[in-house]
Amino acid sequence: MVLPLASDGLTIEPVDDRNDGTAIRLVWKGRSSARNPGELLVPYFQGVFDWAVRSGRVTVEMHFERMEHFNSSTVGALIYLIQDARGRQVPMVFVYDQKLKWQKLSFDAMRVFVKSDGLLQMRSV
Amino acid sequence: MPRRLLIDLPVRNEWSNIELVRTAILNCFAAVFNDLDSCRTVATVISELLENAIKYGNWERQSAHLLHLAITGEDGQVTVSVEHPVEPTSQDVLRLRDTLAWLATFARPEDAYRARLNQFAEAPPELGISRLGLVRIAYEGNCVLQANLEGETLRVSAQMAQ
Repeated sequence: MVLPLASDGLTIEPVDDRNDGTAIRLVWKGRSSARNPGELLVPYFQGVFDWAVRSGRVTVEMHFERMEHFNSSTVGALIYLIQDARGRQVPMVFVYDQKLKWQKLSFDAMRVFVKSDGLLQMRSV
Repeated sequence: MPRRLLIDLPVRNEWSNIELVRTAILNCFAAVFNDLDSCRTVATVISELLENAIKYGNWERQSAHLLHLAITGEDGQVTVSVEHPVEPTSQDVLRLRDTLAWLATFARPEDAYRARLNQFAEAPPELGISRLGLVRIAYEGNCVLQANLEGETLRVSAQMAQ
């Protein structure tokens, strides 16, 4: 079971609306502007990835469409999470809103982390 | 009537003030200009510069607890500058200059940002030290960045063409 995260303007809510056991959706809302967001995000997602492995390597689908802002340290933390998930063979999908210029710029650039292993997908809506 | 927005603001060097200022500036720009995407970009540039100032400023002197934010916004162009105390010979000032010189080697800021992310794909950054702030400003803000050192005061400016 994955619990929600809430801290300092940021919430991450698990949404289990498919019930087919193939993916968990995590909806990010608000802003991530902590000095070291990795201190919060890395332990949380280590728990998520542990759960994903135990559950048969279900896909972790992160939805950023409702994010207002994140700082560059959060980008660094996301890169760390991409590498961590890849190391555990946990598939991830990043979903973002391409109508928001900042999201399009940030996530389009992160496509450099998409590899032929298929473990990271970037999806714009 | 031409639209012009001038902000000249001393800011206490507390991390929580970054979000207060980012949100306030976003609202000011949104009240003056139409393009919300560009307003968000200005707010991001400001918050990244403030973060760097607080992280890498020399705040050891008892009298040093303020940084200085100046913004000029007009139709078509915005300039943001942040001044803060530094130790002029510190590794942080040297690294800032190196980053600006490295950025100048790219034809487009987008290329620099992707190159930095590619570096991270090879060797992930240490947690809490992304070294992405200035490169992100140049890329997302389409900015020309400059740094000027006068005595023990560093001013970093970002000139954004909208």
